Amino acid sequence: MSAAVSHYSKGFWQLTWRRLAMDRVGVVSLIIVLMFFMIILFSAFGLIASDWNHEVAINDAPPDLWGILTDKHTSVIQPSSNNTLSEISEPLPELSVVDPLAEDIAKLRTPIDFSSHIIDPLADTLRDIGYSQYVSTDPTTIEKRTSLPFGGDRWGRDVLKKTIKGTQTSLFVGLTAALLATFLGTLFGAFAGYYGSYIDDTLNWIYSVFNAIPYLLLVLAIAAVLQKRGIATVVLILGLTGWTGVFRLIRAEYMKHRAREYVMAARAFGVSSLRIMFIHILPNVSHIVLVEISILTVAFIKSEVILSFLGFGVAVDDVSWGSMLNDAQSELILGHWWELVAAGGAMALLVTAFSLFTDAIRDALDPKAQGAGA
Amino acid sequence: MTADTLFFIEHLSIAFRRRQRNPFIAVNDISFAIRENETLAIVGESGSGKSVTALAIIGLLPNIVTQIPVSSRIMYHERNILSISENERRKMRGADFAMIFQEPMTSLNPVMTVGNQIIEVLRFKRHFSRTAARQRCIQLLDEVGLPDPERTTTHFPGQLSGGQQQRVMIAMALACEPRLLIADEPTTALDVTVQKQIIALLKKLKARHQMSILFISHDLALVGEIADRIVVMRHGSIREQGDTSQIFLNPQDHYTRALLQCRPTIDDFPNRLPVIEDFLGERSRVHSDIVKKTIENRNPPILLHADKIYKSFFRHDGLWRKYEIPAVKNISFTLRRGQTLGIVGESGSGKTTLGLTLLRLRRATQGNVTFDRQAIFSLSDQEFLPFRRRMQIVFQNPYASLNPRFTVGQSLIEPILLHRVAPDRKTAIEQALDWLSRVGLSHDVFYKFPHEFSGGQRQRIALARALTVRPDLLILDEPVSALDVSVQAQILNLLKDIQDDFGISYLFISHDLAVVHFLCDNVMVMRQGEATEIGNIREIFQNPKSDYTQQLLDSIPRGILSHA
Amino acid sequence: MIIYIIRRLLQIIPIMLGVVLLLFFLFNWVGGDPAYILAGKFSNEEQIANIRHQLGIDRPAYVQIGIFLEQIVTGDFGNSWSTGERVSEIILSRLGPSLTILLPLLFIETLLAITLALAVARIRGSLTDRMIMIFCTIGMSISILVYIIVFQYLFAYRLGWFPVQGWGNSLRENLFTYAMLPILISLMVGLAPNLRLFRSFMLDEISQDYVRTARAKGLSEKRILWIHVLRNASIPIITYIMAALPGLLVGAFLIERFFSIPGIGREVILAVERSDFPVIKAITVYVAIATIFANLLADLIYKAVDPRVELK
Repeated sequence: MSAAVSHYSKGFWQLTWRRLAMDRVGVVSLIIVLMFFMIILFSAFGLIASDWNHEVAINDAPPDLWGILTDKHTSVIQPSSNNTLSEISEPLPELSVVDPLAEDIAKLRTPIDFSSHIIDPLADTLRDIGYSQYVSTDPTTIEKRTSLPFGGDRWGRDVLKKTIKGTQTSLFVGLTAALLATFLGTLFGAFAGYYGSYIDDTLNWIYSVFNAIPYLLLVLAIAAVLQKRGIATVVLILGLTGWTGVFRLIRAEYMKHRAREYVMAARAFGVSSLRIMFIHILPNVSHIVLVEISILTVAFIKSEVILSFLGFGVAVDDVSWGSMLNDAQSELILGHWWELVAAGGAMALLVTAFSLFTDAIRDALDPKAQGAGA
Repeated sequence: MTADTLFFIEHLSIAFRRRQRNPFIAVNDISFAIRENETLAIVGESGSGKSVTALAIIGLLPNIVTQIPVSSRIMYHERNILSISENERRKMRGADFAMIFQEPMTSLNPVMTVGNQIIEVLRFKRHFSRTAARQRCIQLLDEVGLPDPERTTTHFPGQLSGGQQQRVMIAMALACEPRLLIADEPTTALDVTVQKQIIALLKKLKARHQMSILFISHDLALVGEIADRIVVMRHGSIREQGDTSQIFLNPQDHYTRALLQCRPTIDDFPNRLPVIEDFLGERSRVHSDIVKKTIENRNPPILLHADKIYKSFFRHDGLWRKYEIPAVKNISFTLRRGQTLGIVGESGSGKTTLGLTLLRLRRATQGNVTFDRQAIFSLSDQEFLPFRRRMQIVFQNPYASLNPRFTVGQSLIEPILLHRVAPDRKTAIEQALDWLSRVGLSHDVFYKFPHEFSGGQRQRIALARALTVRPDLLILDEPVSALDVSVQAQILNLLKDIQDDFGISYLFISHDLAVVHFLCDNVMVMRQGEATEIGNIREIFQNPKSDYTQQLLDSIPRGILSHA
Repeated sequence: MIIYIIRRLLQIIPIMLGVVLLLFFLFNWVGGDPAYILAGKFSNEEQIANIRHQLGIDRPAYVQIGIFLEQIVTGDFGNSWSTGERVSEIILSRLGPSLTILLPLLFIETLLAITLALAVARIRGSLTDRMIMIFCTIGMSISILVYIIVFQYLFAYRLGWFPVQGWGNSLRENLFTYAMLPILISLMVGLAPNLRLFRSFMLDEISQDYVRTARAKGLSEKRILWIHVLRNASIPIITYIMAALPGLLVGAFLIERFFSIPGIGREVILAVERSDFPVIKAITVYVAIATIFANLLADLIYKAVDPRVELK
């Protein structure tokens, strides 16, 4: 058979890939999405941003992107404040109780002109020490930087690292929940669409029940009864409630394919139902499954961000884009815009890339462009 | 260009831009004239460029991808309508020329009443007042032969039958009093009996309204009934043009001759149909003078006996009531080994449902079927499995009958292994390759995906797949209806050869009497689920007992023969 | 038609029962014993048992479902666990503010999205069309939270064009003072996805055969779009809007929370934060009922607009 391999013609996915490769927007967005995946892989294995929770800079350190190149992030040694991380759970000021002096304070805290400061030649060394000896080992002094590439939050944590960690959480939750929801939707949809009759009636009933409750309300209601917060909980909530759209699409596809002649031919040979459903038909609807995973990932990332923002999402000792935006809301009033921009920008970049990629792959999968139709 | 020339198409070439590939040339330097008050037909198979030519005349080609060289001209009233502005062309559409399409169902706006769709033309193109437009609309619907035209104006397209919808399309086109009516395969989606009525209507209207008709069709025989002159196209070029009688009686081009003779007729009984290569000499193909192996035993053993098969579907109505829609009513027949039974009927006659019910792909409501002396409707699915090997089916639509995600090899090997026809995978592959050769395909087909093949090739693959399990009975559900005439002939010949070699019985389902006449020993005529007539093919075609069969036979387009 | 309505109403019954079962299961088993939540951290066995008895959760499941059904029918879900207010009064008083935001928003948004979608559909495939679509995609990718935070900060806090938050007593004041910025922000957020969706509905219709017929009739492009295409595209648009309607009631919760508008959405958030089960339960049940009836209404309108639909 080895000689025969060269005879194989280009299959559906190869052709799709070729069309996708010709779509410039699609390729660029794919590269961006892949870069995000690289980042979360590195971050998941602790290669980067594992120390996001450390106070490495002064409170609300301003951003200074060019400091990386010029190494101008001046470090100062100051007595360790009482600003421990337990404070995170402290309720944030509501908008209504905003300090009337906020604007003035904001002015005071605007980035300092670093050129006027003396560059400490030992900064690098000190920073290394500071990193390894962090907080509790040295209760009296701690080395802190006055600026960071993306700035620092109100506890002096590196916003860049926070963003990377937040990306890991949000993307992981979005993707896992999307896989779970698509799996459920496809499985139920396949059975309902292929078998019809009472199996369809039952599954359709479950679908109608879930569909009768607006999605976000259902999610919030489940969040209310589940007292446990955390990534796994969010994935479960989103995954178990979000399968209905996939179900409806896949069910309709299976009903359509069931009547197609190639399925009739397989039935005429006595091929078993399960084999027809998952070996014959599934590859023919797999492009819809793929597009749905992609659409749901984006939707679930958005949902996770909202849930975590409201405090119903990830646990307090975790970070996601949602919890960052929550921090950023109160920081913005003081004029500290960088965490908002970092979290909002990272999310916008990923979601835009993901959506454009979804569009591109949908175009590439379009049967009309295939020249296969009659 | 003579004085009575209405349109003059000169050196028309049309290409479509394609992504990352050379443009596709759909029409290549064609010239012809449409005279006043004549019916000109363009005949060709799929891909001949006939519809593209029609769309170019009316100006409905998608501008973004269409390339027409400046040397191409379509002259109308001494103006080249290819070079005038889009706005001017729009004004001419629906006033100077109108068009009707193949699928009347989708060509009418589903959410607008039939009346409003016609009135719209009268009001916006011909500036009728509201009441005058309504009056004229009713007149037009009456003229195209719709019953109760006044009420029909309030109907939505979905409430009309296919034939009625096409009549509405014609009325809509007539509303403009066009000089030229372009009819693109206007009867292809309709039953033969309806087709005959529509053709008669078009002839009548042409005479009354003093207009020209450009009739686009794949069916040379049909065109012979309506056209004054014929243009034969193939692969974007004109092969031949001339008066209808000349095309039929004295065709100059080999391709025209092939088109005329590839179609089976009900007037003779050839053992084999001539195929297009015989005329064009594209491939030298020696076929021994085939003499049909005479079947020694005139009465071979009975293979399949159907006894009063009844199949109905249920629909819900009102609150709880279910009502029954019978699709097949008490059909009985017998099929002997090595013979072919044709089942003929129009759409909705229940012939396809009957085929599926025999294979237990639909559950029969009542009735019994014995296959090789075994009653098969009472068996469990497990017990029936061995019979699935022995009865197989080939479907109409070659584009849907192969799994697009399976290579041809995968499609062929699966049944072989499932029914253990071959002891191992290696033997299965060998057998599959043999079958591909047997249906006239090369071995490298095995490794390809269906989308790379034409309709005819796909139908050969589907046939090979059904044959892999060496069935005794093959149900052929309109296997050639979706194919071009020249390809039809090849597949029909192949089916005959296979039957002669393997002694398979065929149940041949078709709406096409000529094809049935060519292939079958016996025939059953079905109408609305009932068998109106069953018997020997020669007897029924020469001496039909039922009026319906007679009507069907009369509706077969026979070219200029019907004039004679 | 009447038979169809009766039939659809009968179909609602099992779905309603399903919703009731789902919520009952959710609130009584998934979340653990509600008595512990209500009793708080400092409670003894006796108090717990007492609360369990009061709530009726020491009785068999079918009795409890019966109680739940009774609550739904009578609209009496008891009192809020945190404020002690009657649940029915909470819901009724929160409906007004929500609708004040929702109705003008829905009206403007739909009108704007349809008009823009038609305009974009007319120039489909052009550079402008592609740019608008990419802008929509980018616009949709920015979190709604960012929009709210930024615009509230910019327009209300920094520029002072609108009140930062609050809610008044008269409709006029609410509509023209407090609701303006929330509606504006919601409009900006909602327009992009709607435009994209409606455009795709239009494009689906434009590729249909009947549009080709209309062209062959020589009708103007304007008439083809506004009469032929729009009438067909309005069917999925109406269905979509009707189905999304009840969800919007809750969907505005972020806006309501940020601007301290005492609407249904904010109430849900508060209730979730306080584990106030009766309020969540009641809102969920009634919104579910509203959704089911909205779907029924959508089907009826669908039937009225589309002659192809057969009543089954």
